[in-house]
Formats: sequence, C-alpha cells, structure tokens
Amino acid sequence: MAEVKVTINGAQTSGREGVTILELAQENGIKIPTLCYLTELSPTGACRICIVEVEGSRTLVGSCHTPITPGMIIQTHSPKVLATRKVIIELLFASHCGFCMLCNKANVCNLRELAADLDVGLSPFQTRKRFYPIEDNPYIQIDRTQCILCRKCVRACREIAENGILGIAYRSFDTKIVIDNDQPLAQDTCRDCDICISVCPTGCLSKPKKLSAAKTGKPLIIC
Amino acid sequence: MTKIKTQTISPQNENILIRLKRVESQFGYIPEESITEVAQSLDLPVSEIYGVATFYSFLATKPLGRNVIWVCQNLPCHLKHAEITIDNLERTLGIKPGETTSDNKFSLELTNCIGACDYAPAMLINRDLHGNLTPNKISQILKLYK
Amino acid sequence: MPEKQIVLKNCQMINPRDINTYLARHDFKALAKAQVMEPDEIINEVKASGLRGRGGAGFPCGSKWEAARNTPGDEKYLVGNADEGEVGTFKDRYIIENDPFTFIEGITIAAYAIGAKQSYIYLRSEYHRLRNLLENAISQAKDKGFLKHVKIDIREGAGAYICGEETALMDSIEGKRGEPRYRPPFPTTKGLWGNPTVINNVETLMNIPNIILNGAQQFRQIGTERSKGTKVFSVSGDVAKPGVYELVLGSKLRELVIDLAGAETVKMVQIGGAMGRIVSSTMLDTSLSFETILGAGGVIVYNESRDTIDIVLRTMEFLNKESCGKCSPCREGTEAMVKILQKFAGGRGTPKDTGLLEELSSTMMLASLCGLGQAAPFPVIDSLQYFRHDYESRIK
Repeated sequence: MAEVKVTINGAQTSGREGVTILELAQENGIKIPTLCYLTELSPTGACRICIVEVEGSRTLVGSCHTPITPGMIIQTHSPKVLATRKVIIELLFASHCGFCMLCNKANVCNLRELAADLDVGLSPFQTRKRFYPIEDNPYIQIDRTQCILCRKCVRACREIAENGILGIAYRSFDTKIVIDNDQPLAQDTCRDCDICISVCPTGCLSKPKKLSAAKTGKPLIIC
Repeated sequence: MTKIKTQTISPQNENILIRLKRVESQFGYIPEESITEVAQSLDLPVSEIYGVATFYSFLATKPLGRNVIWVCQNLPCHLKHAEITIDNLERTLGIKPGETTSDNKFSLELTNCIGACDYAPAMLINRDLHGNLTPNKISQILKLYK
Repeated sequence: MPEKQIVLKNCQMINPRDINTYLARHDFKALAKAQVMEPDEIINEVKASGLRGRGGAGFPCGSKWEAARNTPGDEKYLVGNADEGEVGTFKDRYIIENDPFTFIEGITIAAYAIGAKQSYIYLRSEYHRLRNLLENAISQAKDKGFLKHVKIDIREGAGAYICGEETALMDSIEGKRGEPRYRPPFPTTKGLWGNPTVINNVETLMNIPNIILNGAQQFRQIGTERSKGTKVFSVSGDVAKPGVYELVLGSKLRELVIDLAGAETVKMVQIGGAMGRIVSSTMLDTSLSFETILGAGGVIVYNESRDTIDIVLRTMEFLNKESCGKCSPCREGTEAMVKILQKFAGGRGTPKDTGLLEELSSTMMLASLCGLGQAAPFPVIDSLQYFRHDYESRIK
C-alpha cells in the first residue's frame, strides 16, 4: 500500500492509502470527537461532530468517512471547526430532555463530556422535544427522550449482534429508533446481549436499575 | 429474533420499495402483516422494512379512504390561495387534513410541491392532477370519484 | 429576444404518444451518429460543448461521464433524474409531457458513451400519471430498434424531496430509505449497488442529441463564458403567465419575469426553489447563469404585497419536513430555524435572534452531510441581507 503524505495541524505526516482522516489523526495522537463513529461499525456520517477543515474544500468534511488524499492540508481544531461543533452540540441539546441530574448515565455521558469540552452551557436554540415514555424489561431500559439519533445501536444490532431488531424509522425531526415495526419493548424483545447499550453515547439505552439489588448494609444517615 | 442472513435478493428488480409499492397499490396502505411478509420474503429484518415504509410520504401505514386528496401547501400554491382550497375541502368533506370521511370515500392530506405550480392552486386525487382550483371546480371534481 | 428553443423545440410540435411524429422530424439521427463514434469521442464532444448539469448543481456533464467510463467495471448504470421536487419547478414535467422521445434518445446516447447496459428513469411519485406516457415512448423506441444496446426501466419514488439528491436517489432505487450517502466515493465510481453510475437531470439529457447532431461548437455559440446553451425555467407566483420558458443562459432575470411572464410588481424573486437564492427587485438585471444564480430554474415571483417572513418561514417549514433526518445539523437546524422564524412571524423576535439565525446558517452550510442541509439556510441568509428591516420590524 502506498503511503499518502498529508499535513495535519501544521505537522507533516503520512498514512496508508484508504485510511480516513480520523484514523490518521488517532494514529498521531490527535483526538477528534465523535458521536456516531465506532471502529467496529460501518461509518454513517450522521452526527457531523467529527468534521474538520480541509484546505480547498467548500464545506467542512466528516473525518470518520473521508479518506486522506495526497497533499491534504487538515485542521482538526481550527476556530471554524470548534465553533461549528459547538453549535451542533447546542442543537442536540435543544431537543434533548435536559434532565442530566436524573440520568442513569449522567457522569458517563459522551454528549455531556463533549458539551463540557466545547464550552456549551444552556442551548440558545429552541426545538420541539422528543418525549417518549420510558420502556424497560429485565435486560434493557430505553428512554428515547435522550436519543441523539447517532444510529450506533441500530448498526450494532445489525452488524455485531446480527439481529436487526432495532431500526431507524420515520423522517426528518420525527426520525426515531424503533423496535421491529415500532413495537413497544416486550419481555422477550431481546435478551442480554447488551451490545446496543454499550455503544449508546447518552442515557437513552441503559441497564435497568435492579431494585432487588439495592443496598443491603446499614443505612447511612447523615445528621 | 430475526437473524440477518447474507443471502441477497436480485436487487435490481426486487427490493423493499418496489414490494411496498405493490402492497400499497393492492390495499391502499401497508398493513402490518404485509411488512412482516415482505421482511420474510426478502430475508431482511422487519425494522428495515418499516423504516422504508415510514420514510416516504406517499406510503401509508394506516388505512386511508378509497380516494386520497393531496393538496399542495407550498408557496406557489399558497400565493394562489391554497388555504381557500383546503378550507373548502374541509367544509365539503367535514374532515381536517389527516382524516378520512366516515363513508371511507375520501382522505384529506396536505403535501409538498407536486410540480403543478403553473396550475396553482393544485391537488392530486390519487394520482390525477387537478389545477386552477376554485370552490365550484372542486365540487365538480369530487363528483368524479366514487 | 433571449428566448431560444433548443431543449423544447419539439414540444407542441410532435405527438408525445407517437414516435412516428418524432421520427418525421429527427429520426433518432443523433443516436445513429453517436453509434458510429467511439464512446470517448462522444464524451469529448460533450466536454467540449461545456454542457453543465441542469438539475441545480451545474457539474460539467462530460467530466461526469468520463469519470464513470474510466472506472473499471462491467456493470455501469445511467439514471435520468425525473424527481423534480424543488418548490416551483415543473420544467421536467413539461418536457416529459410533450417530448419524451428526445429524453429517451439522450439516455441511449449517454448509456452508450459511459458503457451502461441498464438505465433507469427515476420518476417522482407525484408524476405517476406520466409513467404510462414514458412506458409507451420506451416501448415504441424499442420496437423501432433504438434500444438494442440499453434497457430503460422506470423506478418510481414514493414522496420524498430528498430523493432528487443523487446519492439519496440511488438508495431509493435500491429500495431503501432515501438518505444521502457521504462522498467520496462519488456515484461515478461507486454508485448503484456499488457500480459506476451517472445521474443526469432530464433537461441535461435533452441537450445531448442536439450536441451530437450539431456539434459542440454550435452549442457553445450561445450563453456565457461558463454557462453554455439554454436553460428551461419554470415561472410561478405573482405573474400573469406562469409557465415554462427556455432562455439563452445569461439572459436577464427582468426579461424572464417581467417581459415574458408578465409580473406587474416585484418585491422579491426566489430562484432555484426552497434551496435557492432570494433576490430583491433592485436586482432584476442580474443575469441567469451558473456564474450568478440558476439552480434547477424554478423561479417564484413575489409581488410587493408579500411578507418576507411568511415566505422564508414557509420555505423553512418545507425543508424541515423534507429533511431526511440523518445528519444532525440539518435535522435539528431546520427545526431550530423554523422556531426562530415563527417568533418573527408573531412579532416576538428578539435582537439576539438574527444572530442565532446567522450562527445556525453557518453551521448548517459547513457541516451538513448533503446539499439540502448545506443550502437550506440560503433563504434566511438572503432575506437577512436584502430585507433585514422586515426582521427588525418584528422585534418586540
């Protein structure tokens, strides 16, 4: 395989032909944020958080799906890139439920982590909220109010678990992650493969809280 | 549990959208059972079939009336008072957009540009085009449908 | 006069249901001529003509063909894009209604040049009534022996504006949700079912027989430096004579909307539909070309009584409903824009809101996955530039 020479954030480097900008950046220790990307899954280019500046390109380009080309000059954290990423996060927060303090994944949430990195406070944008009832069975809890439609769960269900129970349905703002033909989560919808839960970047998919496994020791009382 | 198999169908002539359109022309909408049938015959997950069925505005997953009226609501028609057409249809049929008459004869839907801006205001009934609509003309047109 | 009939020259002159009336005028002569040429010669002729795509993006047609021809592979496809969904655009409908034969002849030549044995016409579902006419024209052309080297099948959409975008269109032909794919790879290298595919607008293909028959040099004689030939416009809105007009590229907007379509007063003109550009009445001397403004040639005229915010809001509501929902800047951005525009429409705008609109516009243009999200902010940007006072007067 031929080596392709590029410049990334001012430094000359090279990578194998066919490698994406994101992969090359990772090899060079540069962290480009992602929400819909996962090495094990086919790229989809949906979240647009991994966009970078490529000299000569009219728009920013998605680094998770764009292969490097000879002589490419890439900026991964230019002011333009950072400002754009920030607005995307603000947009995702606008329709997000916003009850972070009550969320199962409050402190392990990729979306919140990114928001902190990009200095996002309250979203200045207003959109409809996607309110859906929380569903659960012994294996999974689904709270679509927190879904950012990155589709990682759908791809993981298809490509890793080889099931295809989860799908993407409807269109535009109404787009929704569905089970089969938008069936409610049933006891036997799926078992404990947990793959979709492990890839979810927000609190949308999580393990249900097991009340039976609550604390058994002496209650801690602070006076 | 639907296990995905690697076997693929002859993709050029048999695919989800072609199948769903066939179902739609047979039943006037896409019943739940048909989604399962299409999934089985194409060896694809139900979720994928449902994803296609709900993506396109002209595919319905709920039953519609025998005739579906699609009134264009975009700017060229709006400038020619599409809202009078819509209002007139609502009052004549006694239903709002998204509803079906109790005799199941008509469903009323709003749609995006149907490419008849030179005949604005315009609508499709099923797949027939009717343009330059006036209240008088609408009542004549509705009589053509059984 | 700027009017010139090249693309529409057979319209109203032939019977679209009878190939003999077409043969009496042309005899598929362009195809006959093309078939004694080498594919590369044809491609060079189309390249030399300077023909650019008529569907809105204006990509050089010959280069697209060349890219697909040069990609290795036995399976190649040609698609005639008849998914004319842009608001205020109906020229392809008019073309198919009146002259399906030139369109088909264009497909046969294009398929021969790129080496496609299979071609598709992607017809929007709203034009289902034209399907029979097209099928009839295809079968007559077949009976006359013009389709020996290529099969033409019709694939119908099911109501989705985004499917006019070429990668979404391909997914729709493959039977999937019509969601755009990222690029690269481009359709010319990896298109339908992973094979090299050329997608041309109906009007682009209508120009091909003429270029082959009369040569690139004659085609180049009219137009501007970088926009050769004619363009078919669809004019609607506040005009006396809405309809389809074919003009030499570079003609003035004034000639189209005032002289030909008979607009009385003009406040603004929206060129290229929902994703197009808005110009004010002081810009009627703008020329219509790829260098300036063109889109797919949909022209909506608004008279002085019309409300800017109402127009922009309705346009954005359309884009919001038709966004495929895949990428976040477009799905959430069109939604956020609708909400802000609704505030202005209700007289509840704040000074901060115009800034937010600009911030959103920039993000959507830079980060969206496809042309829809990238062009969706145009009506907002243009109206903020030319009609900013209409926003400011709605700030509470």
